[in-house]
Amino acid sequence: MVGLVGPGPDTTATTTATTTEDPGDGRDARQPRGSRYVASHVTKAFNGAEVLHDVSIVLEPGSVHSLLGENGAGKSTLFKIMSGLYEPDAGELVLGDERLHGLTPRSALQQGIYLVPQEPTLMAHLSAAENLYVGALPRHGRTRLVDWKRIGRESVSYFTRVGLDIDIETPARNLSIAQQQLLECARALVHNCQVILFDEPTSPLTPHEVDVLFELVDGLRSDGLALGFISHRLDEVISISDQVTVLRDGRFVMNAPRGGYTRDELVTAMIGRPIGVRTRVRRSSDVTDRREILRVEDLAAPPTFTDISFTLRKHEVTGLAGLVGSGRTEIAEAIFGLRKADRGKVVLDGVPLTHRTPRECIDAGLIYLPEDRARNGIFGEVDIGRNVTAGIIPHLPRRWHLIRTDRETLLAAGATARTAVHMQALGSSINTLSGGNQQRAMISRWLLAEPKVAIFDEPTRGVDVGAKDDIYDIVADLATSGLACLVISSDLEELTLICDRVLVIYEGRIVGEVEGDDVTTARLGQLVVEGAM
Amino acid sequence: MSTTVLEPRAGRTRDVLSSHVVRLLRMREIQLLVAIGIVVAVTTAAHPTFVAPGNISFMLADAAATAILAMGQTVVVLAKGIDLSVAPILGIAAVLVAFPAQDLNLPIVVGLAIVLGVGLVLGAANGVLVSIARIPPIIATLATLSVYGGLQFILAKGEEISNIPNSYAALGNDDIVSGVPWVLLIVVALAGAVTFFLRHTNTGRSIYAIGNDAAAAHRSGIPVQRVTFIAYTLCGVLAGIGGLIYLCHVGSVDSTTGTADNINLTSIAATLIGGTALTGGRGGVAGSVLGAIFLSVALTAMVFALIPAIWEPAGVGALMLLAMLFDRRSAVRSPSRTRRPRRAP
Repeated sequence: MVGLVGPGPDTTATTTATTTEDPGDGRDARQPRGSRYVASHVTKAFNGAEVLHDVSIVLEPGSVHSLLGENGAGKSTLFKIMSGLYEPDAGELVLGDERLHGLTPRSALQQGIYLVPQEPTLMAHLSAAENLYVGALPRHGRTRLVDWKRIGRESVSYFTRVGLDIDIETPARNLSIAQQQLLECARALVHNCQVILFDEPTSPLTPHEVDVLFELVDGLRSDGLALGFISHRLDEVISISDQVTVLRDGRFVMNAPRGGYTRDELVTAMIGRPIGVRTRVRRSSDVTDRREILRVEDLAAPPTFTDISFTLRKHEVTGLAGLVGSGRTEIAEAIFGLRKADRGKVVLDGVPLTHRTPRECIDAGLIYLPEDRARNGIFGEVDIGRNVTAGIIPHLPRRWHLIRTDRETLLAAGATARTAVHMQALGSSINTLSGGNQQRAMISRWLLAEPKVAIFDEPTRGVDVGAKDDIYDIVADLATSGLACLVISSDLEELTLICDRVLVIYEGRIVGEVEGDDVTTARLGQLVVEGAM
Repeated sequence: MSTTVLEPRAGRTRDVLSSHVVRLLRMREIQLLVAIGIVVAVTTAAHPTFVAPGNISFMLADAAATAILAMGQTVVVLAKGIDLSVAPILGIAAVLVAFPAQDLNLPIVVGLAIVLGVGLVLGAANGVLVSIARIPPIIATLATLSVYGGLQFILAKGEEISNIPNSYAALGNDDIVSGVPWVLLIVVALAGAVTFFLRHTNTGRSIYAIGNDAAAAHRSGIPVQRVTFIAYTLCGVLAGIGGLIYLCHVGSVDSTTGTADNINLTSIAATLIGGTALTGGRGGVAGSVLGAIFLSVALTAMVFALIPAIWEPAGVGALMLLAMLFDRRSAVRSPSRTRRPRRAP
């Protein structure tokens, strides 16, 4: 069963065959509510980059089927296709005996397929109760008017089932991220679905909330629903899944039923090489100049984060770990002047940065590579060269106050060479570059500013595995050349690979600092999830 | 629902207001009533005739057309849109009723049918452009503002039509009881109907959902295009009704009526002053009606203060800016959603 490494249609076909032999193992004395949901030979590309290649998965009624894989392996994309958010380029979806053509979110809901999204997307100004039903508000039979009484009466019981203890009238924007996520889960119950897909529902939840959610999932399983589940937390997956499918780089790697795999086999299948082979990026240890270069003192912007104090030193890579929503990005944005902090000090190389603006930070030698490149860093309509020089426009060489484009091009060429951006020409549009190369271009932009401190927010998100290693090398090179680097990442393994030191954020506070050989995924994982050892 | 909101997780409870009084005071409708009261009190202290029944009736009747247009505008703004073409829709509706009313002594009921039809067609055209052709609302309705405005000029043949039957003027200016004009009753009835639509129908709730997050609404199975189309069509219909009320109240119409009255701006101003968020998904028509009345009262107060009428547009603009500043201040307390949807493929 295990070790079917080596994708391809044949492999998927065998897997499909083996999984069908097991129809809910006779657990359901009552009528099963769910149907078998099959996605077969699904292929999907975005802008020419294939993110799913010939992937198949079978969700059986009365069982939980988990998808495992690294960031960017295609798990979310597959679920989005299965819930009608994306249209597959090839392949088909079959629910029960029915082929689903041109599935949309609306028709998916009508078929009883619901996706609990990775990030809660609630209606900020609408009440919790209305959010629960949005898109399918209960109505009076005769008048077709919205039945507010029923909404008020029944929403409480749905909230109770997912362990939400809130006033149903609270606007969604006043709920915490965890509460919003639980509300998204509760929405699946309202729609009375036969297939529910959970896309990393647990990442913002505390262990207790995860327990409540898992009880709920258990209940849905015994009700006979077909459940899909994505999580980064291996232990969760192992404990809850009846089936596990592993994807890597958009391709099927393996499928195994409960007990048909070991933890190590899953990890090997996920990352494509045995664990331990990937080693920490070591830098020459003879560096003695570990002078403090950035000091953050008591930075606070409640309720997002408080009491943030730390220092960054030359030649050192420091990690910032924490769950999505724990305040990591907000802290970085506050340091860089993108977000207002209520109090606190930032001192860069002895110079206090008081009223910080990004411009002032860049000039002082602090650079920030934002989390969402597409949204925050890249000027999509502008060519690669100008994207690279965009950070130093005031300092570009000039004659009579006019920018000397020949020198500008030289600068851009030098910087892109340093980060090895693969491109046709500096003049081509940056949108022609792959995600990894866009990231390199962004890094070269900031190198032109001759920084002393670099903050990387999720530098490898959406970047394929090969390019990840390159980005790790770039970070290591920067540190070797004397920069202090701060790397924010959800990928704990990534942090263990590149960081000398890791700070852990939990609900807006620094709850731990791990250094040297103590930087392990296990140790970080516990801190990140529980906020304490 | 109970007001004892308790959340087990720390940090957010302070944002929850438990007292009814505070909750009431944070309602824009109440704030506006207070503001109207203050303007009335201050002006009356200087000029007691400000509260004469005749003046009250005039101010309310004067606010009627703006209020009805603001209702339509509110529906569109709630869906995160905007309609810059309500002024010529009002104008065309008024012109198309005014000619037969002058020449044939057309009954008001038939006039109503005409304005409903005009509003429906022109609003639906906006709806098609925004929802199906997916042209950004500000561009689509800016273009139709010009198209409809030109059409109004052609239809009016450059004339002013001012020989309107008395029955029209009676509807637009007579009082039910002293100080309460008939048109106020119409405005209240329409506001009630639109509020009911927004609050109790599936489409109405979908408008709020789309204004909050169109992508999430789509994901939730809401037919975003259809609902957007309905919102613009309803806005057009209300602008048409506004045209009839305008004609009845003013008694004349020409080729630039509506546009020349700056009624696009005042309808948007009344909407924003009424507490509907330009970013969509929050607000309602009751506030917009009060916003229109507030504008009318404040502008009349300017007249009483002997400020020349040429300052009126500046007054509207200033009040609109004040409303936006005030809105931002009251919005600071609420925690914004810290996370964006992420991980684009």
